[in-house]
Amino acid sequence: MTEVLARRDRALTPEETEKLLRDRLGDGITGSTVEFATFTLHVAPGSWHAAAALCRDEQLLAYDMFDNLLGVDAREDGFDVVAVLYSTSTGNRICLRTRCDGGRDNPVCDSITDIYRGADWMERETWDMFGIEFVGHPGLEPRILTVENFEGWPLRKDFHLTSRVAKPWPGVAEPAELDEDGQVIERVPKIGDAPGPYDLDKAMAAQAKAINAPEVDELEEGADEPESSGSADDGSDGDGSAEAEPEFDQETFDRLIAEGKSERIARSKAKAALIKKKRAAAAAGDAAAGADAGDDDPAAAAAAKADERRKAQAEARAKKAAERAADDDEDAANDAGDSAAQEGDA
Amino acid sequence: MGLMDQVELPQPVKYVFNWGRKYSLWCFNFGLACCAIEFIAASTSRHDFIRHGVIPFAHGPRQADLLVVSGTLTDKMAPSVKRLYEEMPEPKYVISFGSCANCGGPYWDSYSVTKGVDQIIPVDVYVPGCPPRPEALLDGIIALQDRIQGESLKDRIAGRRLDPITLGADAPLAIEGATGGASGGPT
Ligand code: SF4
Repeated sequence: MTEVLARRDRALTPEETEKLLRDRLGDGITGSTVEFATFTLHVAPGSWHAAAALCRDEQLLAYDMFDNLLGVDAREDGFDVVAVLYSTSTGNRICLRTRCDGGRDNPVCDSITDIYRGADWMERETWDMFGIEFVGHPGLEPRILTVENFEGWPLRKDFHLTSRVAKPWPGVAEPAELDEDGQVIERVPKIGDAPGPYDLDKAMAAQAKAINAPEVDELEEGADEPESSGSADDGSDGDGSAEAEPEFDQETFDRLIAEGKSERIARSKAKAALIKKKRAAAAAGDAAAGADAGDDDPAAAAAAKADERRKAQAEARAKKAAERAADDDEDAANDAGDSAAQEGDA
Repeated sequence: MGLMDQVELPQPVKYVFNWGRKYSLWCFNFGLACCAIEFIAASTSRHDFIRHGVIPFAHGPRQADLLVVSGTLTDKMAPSVKRLYEEMPEPKYVISFGSCANCGGPYWDSYSVTKGVDQIIPVDVYVPGCPPRPEALLDGIIALQDRIQGESLKDRIAGRRLDPITLGADAPLAIEGATGGASGGPT
């Protein structure tokens, strides 16, 4: 074997790694993500084996240590297999992820035991728990994690826990059992009433979405917009005094206090009002900047586009606010009306 | 054992014999999960069940009188427990230590956990708790020793067992607050 080129001070970045592998595998690489400081490379099932071999043998990558291999239930889409590799020479870690062929009924994946011997037991465990068949594995049977004659694949989301069929879950500990006010829904447990993890998961995801969506939406947009738009500079020029401004809209605050609202509520509503105002102002500033810039300015087109997008968003927001106001109290309705009007002006 | 399983011993002999047996319990520990740590704590100097005549870590099942199953028993492990229990000579006793060994504990709905060690071997004393405190094990041992003291060796050797003791349910606790945790406090 020739000298390994990889070194800690020359470790490839995720982008370089992806580029290198794309050069070799072409369409075999379907995408990549960097989440929680983990670089995940999505690989087409046909290139799974080749990708692992490249990761080990490519001198700049030198992923010489096999760390982990696991299955993921991807619901209707079947199953994923994830392999985690580590390079002792560069200190890099990479997740290779592929969607198995064969859907839910008959998932198959290439075995990488001939590349990494350590994958042997991991693939057997994945077979035990998910029923993913690894083609080229020296022997998946007998089962090692469960009893030899175990039937079913216990980590699949649709696996039934027989104990729960015979005896319902005795508590109400799951968030899916809360109503929209966060109150526990009283449930009389009955035989055969067995929420499988799959249904529960779905319900929880839907509920989390419903609860979190509006707030997250507003805050994030408020924070991100100046950077994400093509004309960030113009926008911040428009309201350069942003830092000096109070953190909530004094006018709205005073009005709500005068109406006898508690300070906390007034403050939060005033804050929302301020964010809306700022956005409207920024949109106005952009529009002005777009008009000022000549045709030869390439930023002008981008600014105009951003402006359009913002207007559409403002409309959508006003609509949403109006909907929410319908079942909120009157003040909120006024608020939304005010800011909607302002956004409309802009 | 020849005669002993056919003839009841006279009372004084029985007394001395049982007295000797109850303070010389060689213990075979089946530590399977978190509860095993409590078992070990019970064997070390603070709680020290050796002062009650329980000798931990028998060299093997063939030298042991008492099997303590402490921890989560899985279906995969169950055959081994059964087999090692069967290698122990009569008279033999079993303490089921902790909720997992009693009934599956927090894993009652798991796909792989045996719902209690009593599904495969007979149990003499159940110690509830998740995990039970070491004092609870001492309590269980004392309850077992009381039983051994009054026992008819003839019945025992012939394999006739008394109903199991459940600490905190049908036996008063010798030590205040001995069991702790989620699944069984003193009643
Ligand atoms: S009863 Fe609780 S502490 Fe004991 S083994 Fe089971 S889970 Fe662990």
